[in-house]
Amino acid sequence: MGNKITINPITRISGFLEIQVEVEENQIINAKSSGMLFRGFEKILRGRPPLDAIYFTERICGICSTAHSMGSTLALEDLLGIRPNENDKMIRDFMHGCEFLQNHLRHFYQYTLPDFARGPEIQPLYNVTHNDYRLPEKFNRELAENYIESLQYSRLAHEMLAVLGGKAPHTHGIFVGGVTVNLDASKWIKVKSILASIKEFVGGRMIPDAYTIAEYYPDYFENGVGYKNLMTYGVFDTYLEKDLFYVAPQVFIHGELQEFDPEKITENIHRAWYEARQIEQRPTEATVEENVYKEKAYSWIKAPRYDGYPMEVGPLARMWLSGDYTNGISTMDRTIARVLEARKIIGIMEGFLERMQPKPAQQGQYKFSGEARGKGLIDTTRGALGHWVATENEGIQNYEIITPSSWNLSPEDSEGVKGVVEEALMGTTIEDLKNPVEIGRIVRSFDPCVSCATHVISEGYSPVQIRIV
Amino acid sequence: MNEIPSNCPMISSKTITARRMMDLAIEKIENTSIHKINLIWLEATGCAGNIISLLNAENPDIIYLLDQMVTLKYNNSLMAAEGAGAFQQFLDTLETEFILVVEGAVATKDDGLYTVIARYQGELVTAMEAVKMAGEKAKYVVTVGTCASYGGPSAARPNPSQSVSVPQFLNKEVIRVPGCPSHPDWAIGTIANLIAFGMPELDPQSRPIIFYGITIHDQCTRRSYFNNGIFATKLGEPECMFKLGCRGPVTRTDCPVRQWNGYVNWPIEDNTPCIGCAQERFPDGMSPFVRY
Repeated sequence: MGNKITINPITRISGFLEIQVEVEENQIINAKSSGMLFRGFEKILRGRPPLDAIYFTERICGICSTAHSMGSTLALEDLLGIRPNENDKMIRDFMHGCEFLQNHLRHFYQYTLPDFARGPEIQPLYNVTHNDYRLPEKFNRELAENYIESLQYSRLAHEMLAVLGGKAPHTHGIFVGGVTVNLDASKWIKVKSILASIKEFVGGRMIPDAYTIAEYYPDYFENGVGYKNLMTYGVFDTYLEKDLFYVAPQVFIHGELQEFDPEKITENIHRAWYEARQIEQRPTEATVEENVYKEKAYSWIKAPRYDGYPMEVGPLARMWLSGDYTNGISTMDRTIARVLEARKIIGIMEGFLERMQPKPAQQGQYKFSGEARGKGLIDTTRGALGHWVATENEGIQNYEIITPSSWNLSPEDSEGVKGVVEEALMGTTIEDLKNPVEIGRIVRSFDPCVSCATHVISEGYSPVQIRIV
Repeated sequence: MNEIPSNCPMISSKTITARRMMDLAIEKIENTSIHKINLIWLEATGCAGNIISLLNAENPDIIYLLDQMVTLKYNNSLMAAEGAGAFQQFLDTLETEFILVVEGAVATKDDGLYTVIARYQGELVTAMEAVKMAGEKAKYVVTVGTCASYGGPSAARPNPSQSVSVPQFLNKEVIRVPGCPSHPDWAIGTIANLIAFGMPELDPQSRPIIFYGITIHDQCTRRSYFNNGIFATKLGEPECMFKLGCRGPVTRTDCPVRQWNGYVNWPIEDNTPCIGCAQERFPDGMSPFVRY
């Protein structure tokens, strides 16, 4: 019989995650990913004023809150039939870019780097729990120094966000209609100068540091592969200008590109701690109740599927689908794609800065009546994020969120199909069963955010019926 | 309008700013025999946004905090160790003198199983158990953020996880440092006070007066608009947002004078109302966040 290895907590992520694997002859033969936090935001949102969803859903996640202000704002704009003007949209997308940079910097230096290099010699950043550190002392020292140096730049990414959005995390400036900031030259030049300093750090340190790690851990191009099914909802994709465009919505299944169809998204609760009338539901009709004692369930995360397939989402999926990075799909490719994406996004943000004008924000008064629904699907730091909202009179009737980490960290579904991270762990060789460092490295390459992935559930209500008038 | 008496105790306590407090603490650490106290920064039922906010700190920044002020023994987001080895560090710290910081509320439903922070010797360890274990032994307990301090968004109705605040859960004095998230200066300033001067002066809700002594409204840059009855009608406008639902009049923080993220901005300066994120009744009692 195999050995069972459990890692809980998987530290250096946002939220609480347990990974259990069974190992036979040093190979992983079974893997389970369990989200261990539940708050029930969707239930909490019911009955609240629809506009509250923007600042409320930000509170799902401290590290990627701006993602949720984007998702909720897009869903409400869809519902209200509102479109921001081009200038405000560029400012808003710039703010979303700030969130990408903050996340990618922190994920690479604070979360990923200690897997491969000994961190700064400060408790508890310095790792002593295993011995698979391969970097020569000189490189290790440089990376540890850059760990500290990077803190300044992730902080500055949030400072840019605050210049335009009031504060971060949980920024205020992204709102229905666009933004709330009245851009002026002083704010513009401030964020422009900060972006220039971040660009220098990303290009001069972060990207070389990722390649340094890759050089000494070439075996990590071979593990953590997974299904190779990739998906993006698209981001920075509403612009015709080439330097502002990143990636359009699309899916990649069994090596074939397909058009993205949001109607093919379902959520399966077979192994999740929920009960419902149907085991598989669409996000517009999700009706579940939590049951932590459910037999054979092992996670608070539901299993989202696209046309029945578990889909990998995140920087590698985007960079692959945009054609910016096609080296491979693996643990190390995910990390490299993430740092290269930081540079790509800086380029797009520079394009916004060239075009945005110091004009007042175009805001209105937004009122809700009758029954309506909207959806906001957009790629954010960790991948494809969907918000689905239904309103009735002046309140939220139903709210459903499928986060990127739900896609990546999902449990097995009722067809016996494993989640993306679970599959990526399968077959992995564990060199030292007492120090199974491979597991944490593979899991972290997906940048898990369990605060996001397990926020969820909806009330046991039937879906809103939309009347076409 | 309230008149501000010249002998107002809040004003006098405000003359010692957080920065000054930190400087004094730093000086004291450098010049005296103060030893670095251990710190557990425990993430419970929440969004982990307060540790992210802490990473935004500057002068002192997180490295100064960890290098010069405290010895951080356990934090889920930052620590290099993982799994049982990580949780062992938590357990070992309980036998020492330490400060416990909690961010996130305490989920109590189904024996706390809605938030599991570790597995130890095969058993699940809930955030509820961890807060209890560490809370009972800590020299000081500090709640950073509104969820830990008052329940916050995690306990918003109908409160599916039956989350409660740390002071509700622990039968012990708790210093509240609310905010959603808490400003890094509020958290580090409170820790500075504890290590250099002991207990800070607290208000009746156990918040340090240096940060939470005065309402946003009293120090608001748009106060003259309010006094003259000039109000914004939608976001993006420069006037007082009282009629848009601004919660500045009931929210006690120093946001208007301190500002956020490199001290560059704050929500009202960004033409959005204060939503009362540091107050006891946030978010339920602060809804709607925006009204027209």
